[in-house]
Amino acid sequence: MTSILLLSVLILIPFVGSVVVGFGFAKNYDRPVAIAVSGLQMILLVYLVSIFQVGGGFQFQESARWIDLSLGVLGHFSSRYALGMDGLSLPLVLLTGLISFIALWNSKEIKEKTAAYYGLVLLMNASLMGCFLAQDMFLFYVFFEFMLLPMYFLIGIWGGPRRQYASLKFFIYTLVGSLFILIVMLGISMAYIDPYETAVLNGWVREGQNFDLEALLAVQKAISAGEIPKHLLVHSFDISALSDVNNCLPGSIFSPNSGWLLGGMSGRAWGFWLLFIGFAIKLPLVPLHTWLPDAHVEAPTPISVLLAGVLLKIGAYGWLRMTIPFFFQEALQYAIVMSILGALSIIFGAYNALAMKDLKKLVAYSSVSHMGFVLMGIAAFNVEGWQGALFQLISHGILSALLFLMVGAIYTRTGDRNVDSYSGLAKMMPRFTLISGIAMFASLGLPGFSGFIGEFFSLMGSFTSVYVQPGVAVFGAFGILLGAGYLLWTFQKVYLGPVFLRDTTWNMSDISLLETISMYSLGILSILLGVFPGKLFQISEAFVLQWMNQIN
Amino acid sequence: MGLHVHFIGLLLLPWISGLFLGIIPSRFSKISSIFLALISGLFAFSFLSRIHGSDFRVAYTWFNMGQKSIQASFWMNTPAQVLVALVHLVAICVHIFSASYLAHEPNIRRYYTYLHLFLGAMTLLILTDQTWIFYGAWELVGACSYLLISFWYQKPEAIRAAKKAFLLNRLGDIGLLFGLIGLTMHFQTDQFSAMNIGLSGPAPFLVGLAILLGGIGKSAQFPLMSWLPDAMEGPTPASALIHAATMVAAGVYVGIRIFPLTSEEVHLLMGGIGAISLLAGGVFALFQSDIKKALAYSTISQLGLMWMGMGSDVSLMHLWTHGIFKAGLFLSAGYVIHAIHSQDVHHMGGLRKSLPVPALAYAIFGAGMMGLPLTGGFYSKEHIAGYLWTSSENSSYALYYEGLLIATALGMVLTAWYISRQFYLIFLGESRGENNTEPTNKLDLAMVLPIGILAVGSFAFVLGNPVFTYFGLPSFEVPTLWLLWTGISWVLGIGLTWLTRGWVPSGNLQFWPNFWPDSFQYVIMKSRNAHWIETHIYDRAVNGMARLQVILAHLSAWVDTWVVDGVLVGCTSRLSAVLGGLLGRWQSGKLASYWVLVFITFGLFLLFSLLI
Repeated sequence: MTSILLLSVLILIPFVGSVVVGFGFAKNYDRPVAIAVSGLQMILLVYLVSIFQVGGGFQFQESARWIDLSLGVLGHFSSRYALGMDGLSLPLVLLTGLISFIALWNSKEIKEKTAAYYGLVLLMNASLMGCFLAQDMFLFYVFFEFMLLPMYFLIGIWGGPRRQYASLKFFIYTLVGSLFILIVMLGISMAYIDPYETAVLNGWVREGQNFDLEALLAVQKAISAGEIPKHLLVHSFDISALSDVNNCLPGSIFSPNSGWLLGGMSGRAWGFWLLFIGFAIKLPLVPLHTWLPDAHVEAPTPISVLLAGVLLKIGAYGWLRMTIPFFFQEALQYAIVMSILGALSIIFGAYNALAMKDLKKLVAYSSVSHMGFVLMGIAAFNVEGWQGALFQLISHGILSALLFLMVGAIYTRTGDRNVDSYSGLAKMMPRFTLISGIAMFASLGLPGFSGFIGEFFSLMGSFTSVYVQPGVAVFGAFGILLGAGYLLWTFQKVYLGPVFLRDTTWNMSDISLLETISMYSLGILSILLGVFPGKLFQISEAFVLQWMNQIN
Repeated sequence: MGLHVHFIGLLLLPWISGLFLGIIPSRFSKISSIFLALISGLFAFSFLSRIHGSDFRVAYTWFNMGQKSIQASFWMNTPAQVLVALVHLVAICVHIFSASYLAHEPNIRRYYTYLHLFLGAMTLLILTDQTWIFYGAWELVGACSYLLISFWYQKPEAIRAAKKAFLLNRLGDIGLLFGLIGLTMHFQTDQFSAMNIGLSGPAPFLVGLAILLGGIGKSAQFPLMSWLPDAMEGPTPASALIHAATMVAAGVYVGIRIFPLTSEEVHLLMGGIGAISLLAGGVFALFQSDIKKALAYSTISQLGLMWMGMGSDVSLMHLWTHGIFKAGLFLSAGYVIHAIHSQDVHHMGGLRKSLPVPALAYAIFGAGMMGLPLTGGFYSKEHIAGYLWTSSENSSYALYYEGLLIATALGMVLTAWYISRQFYLIFLGESRGENNTEPTNKLDLAMVLPIGILAVGSFAFVLGNPVFTYFGLPSFEVPTLWLLWTGISWVLGIGLTWLTRGWVPSGNLQFWPNFWPDSFQYVIMKSRNAHWIETHIYDRAVNGMARLQVILAHLSAWVDTWVVDGVLVGCTSRLSAVLGGLLGRWQSGKLASYWVLVFITFGLFLLFSLLI
């Protein structure tokens, strides 16, 4: 089936859709066309899942020559258009498809410039897919940067009153993160050698020929012995080549024994932290998170859904795909710092959420808090922690989307997001109250819902980890108490109690069929994942074990 | 039906019933709910009789985590069997009682759904052998409790109480979570039944302490006790099931589970906390004008007694008898509340004439609570005292156990005092206030039947000693001296009631009533600080940085116009202007001067060529 280039099709579908919709070829039918495109993508995704072999490493791989430069003594540079899907990216790709679909479906409120809007959302979807599927860091970076563009316009044009400020803040913040990543990429491009490409260039193997472990070791040995002349070395951005420290040129800045120090940290430590911070901005990690509440408050509901549901996951994906694999020993060494940062994020985010009166800001800060669990799980460096972190990514994607839809449903009816402006909605909107209750209890980590599994295993991994102090896990665990605090407080204020509306002309009709279907399906998904977490664990297991075996 | 199918039925039936009740129309809720509760009960009791007191163990593969396989494993040992029987017995009674108590409630469907979900969660909690599932079920019963307390969600007190209950429980749950993780780590297994060797090192103390915190939260012991009286805002039958007989006993249940795995210090702490709760609960029960709140404090007090008896199955024994008579007391109180539409003693007094059924029931259940002979309570209480007595003789902490014994002795007086006093204030004496209830001679079967079942059950020869022997629970002899004191304590208690009969509590006294609300307020205040940091420091720094860039941009623009442009462009242009001016003079446009220049140049050229 690889001849069809399924993954390229996965990116192309929304891209073509965005061109069609965005340039006005589907006038008056923007919404149905966009939804159909997204639905088509979902069908392809379902097909991909059905033929995906669990535990089979990268699948549906495609690779084509893209950039080839010969720079004389600096060697060759090569970057390939390489896509692939493994147990780490599959759940995230699925999540992207699902959340985009739901976001498009719930975009009925958008009334102006619909062609541009739906085009941009589809474009966004295409670049998100590209991010999760790219196997070449340069290609990833292109998609990663490209994503900024649609998001900037989506917030800046269809956003709330302070949209200019929020979109600019989002743009600049993320761009700074990209800058850090770019610096590391420059260093990496100088330091790392692609053994396969080098072998091809030197005529040791023919292109397409089998390149086995023995050949790989031979090339690596030749590289480290300096036997290959410099102009015949191929530098590449292939993620798997970069994940092997043996491909590093001796004496280069990222070589483990280069002796290069700056501020007491080696080149590799700098590389690790720069990449870490670059992706931490996206997550977002306290204290690099202040763009998030503003962006969420100003963004229209479907964009908030997309932002919290998928965009934030790229930060963690970047860590797991590019930061930790590239600088594995450094990551292990700084695990305790990462863990403390994660715990801090949990507590600080939860405290802030507790202080919020704006519903959207509250959910935004709860995102910060929940993503802290992801970092804490990753920093544990054991199976439980990583599986918990990955699970938390998916779970948070579903639940934050649900929470933002919930806030959106209130906002469209009232135009007011202040918690104090209404109470006793349970009386007027029973169907809505039920799903909101499910969303909130799921978010506060009630067993039986997906939030519990993610938080629980992240905490357990962190507590039992040999790289992290158990005290950090205990500190972070108070986040679940604070989480219960702010969510129950909100539930009590908004849904329970005597009926009160600040403006009696508000029409508090129960949620429409469209809202009901999208919200309840997310809720049911959360329950299914919470009761049967095994499938998701199984998908990501090969990836997790591969790196856990590196430790030993 | 195979044993395993039977077991799965026992486990899942309440969940299925809950979901089913959630979707059927309200008018069928009552009858189908009672029917389903009976079916669940039937499953439970027939299963118990099938395994006939022996342990039952089963495991299903749930999912894999790395190389480890996480099993959904279940272990039905003696405590689990006792609790399953109690939960289903009380649940059936409560279901029937609710049909009449909440007859005019429009949201009856929601109520019954919650009850069944609770039943499912509680059964799971009791039966599971797996630490994670245990924690999960523990949280779920807390959530069901939240839902039932806030059942009348338009009452602000109810939702406040529900939130408080959930948060205080969650505080304890954090302890439980890490305790269970610690246990799992230490034994390298996540099954309680496989943890049968004593721990070594500091683990038994730390793990025990952490789990103890969870148990304290759930069974509302000192210092996390204040949520239980508040929780009485929920419907009375639900209180009988959850906040009197079963869920609060889960704390004791986890104590029983981990007792052999924890250190001596933890055991002493359990006893100490139990003693404090026993006495504090007893004292506060005296000062409540709300009869449900008084019963809640009495629950705290009796649960304290169970914590003191931890270490042998005597606490289990008391859990059983207490579950029956306390549920009965709540249902009887519910009967009274239903009849006079008030739960304040100021509106009661002299109700024996108009409400003879609950009066009689109250007397029987009260006798069980005091531990009068013939009741199950008598035996369970005497066994706990006997256990403490034996421990005080054999343990190296003899003095400590003697202290616990004295506390128990005092607690018995208090118990006799508050329960007989409550009986007096409700049923005896003269009527206070203007309760204009006509004595109803019509017997409401849905209310009388469950109370009757429980009343009969609280006699020792019905559901007391036969149950103990069936499950093989141990007995401890008490010295005659103690029996003598027991008798004296009844007399003292009832005598004190007689002496204080004229005094009616003016309100509901609580120990530092605002301690926990204030603590939560404090946390919220701190959260404002956190947000202040966020907006005033981080965000300002970020915006400041952005502004700095703008300032720098202007600066660089200035530099660009005045320095770069000025120096480079300006200078060069000026230079060329100056030079141009100089040269321009030569280019005057006068023919004569051109000629002069030509000749000078030519001359110079000649001179140059001649010299070379």
